[in-house]
Amino acid sequence: MKPVIETRELCRFYGAGDTLVKALDDVNIRIDPGEFTAIVGPSGSGKSTLLQQIGGLDIPNHGKVLLKDKPISEMSGKELSDFRRDHIGFIFQAYNLIPVLSAAENCEYIMLLQGIPAAERRERVLSMLAQVGLEGREDRLPGQLSGGQQQRVAVARAMVSQPDIILADEPTANLDSQTGMELLDMMHDLNRNEGMTFVFSTHDPKIMERASRLIYVEDGKVIREETRNG
Amino acid sequence: MLMLKLAFRNILRNKRRTILTMLSMFGGYVLLTLSISVQNGSYVQVIDFFTRDSTGHAQISEVGYQDKPTLYKSVPETTDFYQQLMQVDGVQRATPRIVSSALAYGETKSFPVQVIGVDVEKEARMSFLEEKVKTGQYLEVGPDSDGYYSALIGAAVARQLSLEMGDELILISQGADGSMANDLYRVVGVVGSTEGAEARNVYLPLAAAQSFFVMPEQAHYWAVLTSDYERSDQLSQRLNSWLDGDSELEAVTWKVVSKEFYETMKADVEGGYVAYYIIIFLVCIGVLNTVLMSVLERTGEFGVLKAIGTSPGRVFTLIVTETLMLAVLSCLAGLIVAMPINYYLAAVGFVLPEPMEVSGVIMSHMKGLWDVKTFMEPALIVIGSAALISLFPARRAAKIVPVDAMRSL
Ligand SMILES: Nc1ncnc2c1ncn2[C@@H]1O[C@H](COP(=O)(O)OP(=O)(O)O)[C@@H](O)[C@H]1O
Ligand SMILES: [Mg+2]
Repeated sequence: MKPVIETRELCRFYGAGDTLVKALDDVNIRIDPGEFTAIVGPSGSGKSTLLQQIGGLDIPNHGKVLLKDKPISEMSGKELSDFRRDHIGFIFQAYNLIPVLSAAENCEYIMLLQGIPAAERRERVLSMLAQVGLEGREDRLPGQLSGGQQQRVAVARAMVSQPDIILADEPTANLDSQTGMELLDMMHDLNRNEGMTFVFSTHDPKIMERASRLIYVEDGKVIREETRNG
Repeated sequence: MLMLKLAFRNILRNKRRTILTMLSMFGGYVLLTLSISVQNGSYVQVIDFFTRDSTGHAQISEVGYQDKPTLYKSVPETTDFYQQLMQVDGVQRATPRIVSSALAYGETKSFPVQVIGVDVEKEARMSFLEEKVKTGQYLEVGPDSDGYYSALIGAAVARQLSLEMGDELILISQGADGSMANDLYRVVGVVGSTEGAEARNVYLPLAAAQSFFVMPEQAHYWAVLTSDYERSDQLSQRLNSWLDGDSELEAVTWKVVSKEFYETMKADVEGGYVAYYIIIFLVCIGVLNTVLMSVLERTGEFGVLKAIGTSPGRVFTLIVTETLMLAVLSCLAGLIVAMPINYYLAAVGFVLPEPMEVSGVIMSHMKGLWDVKTFMEPALIVIGSAALISLFPARRAAKIVPVDAMRSL
């Protein structure tokens, strides 16, 4: 099977000389379609940096990132931003949503960028919001939703753009463990039912349990990979 | 639509700041509108008065006369010519004049004067000469019982030559045939003040001037009025096409006739722009400050927007749109306030505490201008400068790097 994402000798350094930080140091990983992968490691180990590289938000110092064999590390500017819009779904730890747009409008926004006609946008948004359990809350502003609900909107937004992969950087970090688990279960359902490929980072052992594959990073290096059946 | 909604809701986010920004644009609009109204209103008044009183909106003269007025370049002054002239489209009034210099003698002294021969009746209908008679009365068409033609003299002439009503005035000059011209006239009135433009003038009935300068059935020019000085160019074009058969004669507008006056008016108008620039500058500072603040505050948000695929151009457009919306709303609010005030200014106006001289015309009462331009121009200025000012913060927002922006969250 062709991988969705592949990294080769990926390196990202910050600073120089004495203060040089190797946030990523020769990382070679591969994500296959349909995986539900967790990147785990302590704080500062390089999880966010890795997701930024995979998502085309930042440029590596060395090595490359291939999305379906296409090297994203060679794109820039508008090409890269269009690429992210069409191929990558993002869920961040916080501040995901535009505060002045309702849940539905937040999801619509990304499809607007994609140039999808209004009628289709509306239809897809409503069904997606229902799928993440937000039926009846479509017109609420982010401020009128709980933290868990806001993250669900973020998941819905990532889903409606129909990307190749959804990257979530510690999506549960700001949620209590119960809500966090529910969010993760919902993502897992989407992974199983819709076949969406997810990569998320966490340092919470309970969250890791849910992953079908684990990539352990420490000091910018992948120290271990683990596949589970479950 | 969603982008407009987004822009609109964004401007409602920080209400206090929005209100402050709008107040500065609103105030700028109202100030600009009213000052432009009064300034242009007074220029309209001055130009209107000047052209009606002195030059006409256009003049017909012999080719070359306007560049170098001489006694010898003349136009026909016949009933036939007048009737045909009045048939030309747009011509409302016309009057012939003879203009030349002479030496005036009172009892003991002499004084150089400008002699202006006017058609007594047509002149009264066209200029303000009759209204400007301070003492005495207006001209008579024909000679009095003693055979004297009447003369109106400027205040400086009256003072220099110690002339009073009923006194005799002697004029000496040269006729168009090269002969020596001299004649006696009866002073019937004094026009204007010693400072006014007519202070050194002597006005004679046309027939008197024609015989004095030996110009039978001739004048130096016809001053022509149309409905409005703004139509002067059109008027002179029509006159020229009417004159087409006559290569000796031409029509020119007041701008050519009195270049000096026209240039001073233009310079005065440009001088008035300084005040506008100051208002615009203050508005711009207010706008720049708030737009920059609102961009900086939303750095993280723009980071996320860009991360999920919003192009730099779209972020840029969003900021400019937000600013434009604010500007348009402010101008609309300004329009609501400026309209009644300007209506009052245009309809009633106000009396100046002290009369002011503008290019030789004394003004004591100022009026505003009620037209589309007066309201549109300031709106375009405010909206345009707000848009221009927003380019810098917009560029800044467009250039935000998602990773950096989100790290700062
Ligand atoms: N923009 C940056 N400038 C300097 N150092 C950075 C920057 N981004 C990340 N780092 C460093 O790189 C390392 C990895 O960071 P990060 O990927 O955020 O780790 P994690 O997400 O696992 O907590 C850390 O030591 C961090 O301080
Ligand atoms: Mg992190």
